[in-house]
Amino acid sequence: MSQVVLSQPQVKTARRRINNRERTLLLMLAPIVLFVAAVSLYPLLNAFALSLTEYKLTDPNQTRTFIGFQNYIDAFNDPAVTETLLNTGVFVVGSVVSQVLLGMALAVLMSAESRFMRIVRGLAVIPMAIPPLVVGLVWKALLNGDFGPVAYYLKLIGINPPRGFLGELNLALPTIILIDLWQWTPLLMVIFLAGLKSLPTEINEAAYVDGASRWQAFTRITLPMLAPIIFIGVLLRTMNAFKIFDVIYVSTGGGPGNATAVLNFYIYKVGLTFFDMGYAAALANILLVMIGVCCAVYIILLERQKNSNS
Amino acid sequence: MRISKFEHYSRNIIVLVVLTFFLLPIVWLLTTAFKLPRDLITVPPVWLGFTPSLVNFDFAINKVNALRFISNSVIISGGTTIASLVLGTLGGYAVARSRLKIVSISSYFFLVLLMIPPVAMLVPFYLLMRDLQLLGTHAAVIILSTCYNAPFVVWLMSRYFASVPAELEEAALVDGTSPFGAFLRVMLPLSIPGLVAAALYCIIFSWNDFIFALLLTNPATKTIPLGIMATFSVSNLSWGNMAALSVFAVLPVLIIAVVLNKYFVQGMTAGATKG
Repeated sequence: MSQVVLSQPQVKTARRRINNRERTLLLMLAPIVLFVAAVSLYPLLNAFALSLTEYKLTDPNQTRTFIGFQNYIDAFNDPAVTETLLNTGVFVVGSVVSQVLLGMALAVLMSAESRFMRIVRGLAVIPMAIPPLVVGLVWKALLNGDFGPVAYYLKLIGINPPRGFLGELNLALPTIILIDLWQWTPLLMVIFLAGLKSLPTEINEAAYVDGASRWQAFTRITLPMLAPIIFIGVLLRTMNAFKIFDVIYVSTGGGPGNATAVLNFYIYKVGLTFFDMGYAAALANILLVMIGVCCAVYIILLERQKNSNS
Repeated sequence: MRISKFEHYSRNIIVLVVLTFFLLPIVWLLTTAFKLPRDLITVPPVWLGFTPSLVNFDFAINKVNALRFISNSVIISGGTTIASLVLGTLGGYAVARSRLKIVSISSYFFLVLLMIPPVAMLVPFYLLMRDLQLLGTHAAVIILSTCYNAPFVVWLMSRYFASVPAELEEAALVDGTSPFGAFLRVMLPLSIPGLVAAALYCIIFSWNDFIFALLLTNPATKTIPLGIMATFSVSNLSWGNMAALSVFAVLPVLIIAVVLNKYFVQGMTAGATKG
């Protein structure tokens, strides 16, 4: 390569061009950062301050008495909170695991390129577009013991819970997991399908030539190559599983008792039906920490996996 | 890979079973919306043999003022989508192309934002809007929705932009356009599929939102999901009416998602395959 000696003005222009570009990019980033900071930082800091006080929205004097970390201590001693934490854990793990497994199975099932499959895939994404509120209402009706079609068909094969699927202590949360599965598995199917399509087929072909069965090829070759995409799917669904609200609000209201109250829903109940804002803010911070830890773990695992691949 | 005929047919059958699982509730919703009250509670359930009627839609439009709910939803969704797209696309481009440390740190900041449960922000945001006297306005919901949507648009668009080779903009820069001009004239036209997908995501998210509207609207600015809840709990629990209102809630987004399915899928997975 020949040595190119830049004269002084040319060096300055080159450097300035880079700086000019970076400056434009910063200016493009600024609006959203400022907007988000303005809208979210004040409420978030306020929420943290609020969690250190006792503040009832219904208080005519609107007094906020500083009580330090008492809200957090009460939270850890509150059996309802323990129950909601358990429910949250069960729900998040149950729904994410089942959706990833089913999503992957569906992606493989519907991976063929035919007109039929294309139509099927287009139809399968419909559940994602329905408002979760409507999803909850529809399933509540479908499972209704008196006239719900799904309950009727299940009765025909002998499954007939006395208080209905959403009214039985042991069935309510699994039913909510099922409803969430119905709505969001298509998302994972779509993501995994895109991943499957982007994989090179030669490696699998070579494996078949070497005598591998399709299952072996899938588990030893395809799945490891899909690992980053599986991670992304898990991350997306985990973040959203913590936030579930509409379905629970409309189908069980957290009940029976607190059986379907996950932490996100319980915060709403405490803050906006009991109006105990200070306590609700403390619970919200606890939830935030939980989500943050989960996501941090995922991201660290993802980064480590990326580094080991490259 | 040769698949036996048996496998081929059994695969298709399983696919049809799966499709039934995913579509049955929707079919139920659509048929219920057109059913007379007496057909709603028949046992065994009737799927096709009922006399269709528009009585539920009449109730929805005339008694419950569904058109107002729809217009509120349109205003809020439109506002959120436009704001999120503008803010998010600009930010996404910066994240994709900048080499500054500050920019990559802010992309993590946005990811953190996505993790925050809306409930955590809702209480203080409600109080903030109350003090600003914006409670009950469309603006309040649009602001909060955008705050949640725009980071996702940044994430989506940055992955999309990153997959376009930088040489194209470099060429434009050499030819004398400004960096912003390169963005407008080179990158944006190439990114229409990604933009459509991001817009679709924003529309779906804000149209289907319930909890923000629950807290921040008043009876004049209620959106469709709230309208559904209002009729459901106050008047007689008519599933037919609920279904009719839900059809208004579901149909627009459904049509968009199915018609623009290609973009929907592309957008959701843009960059996801790059890992």
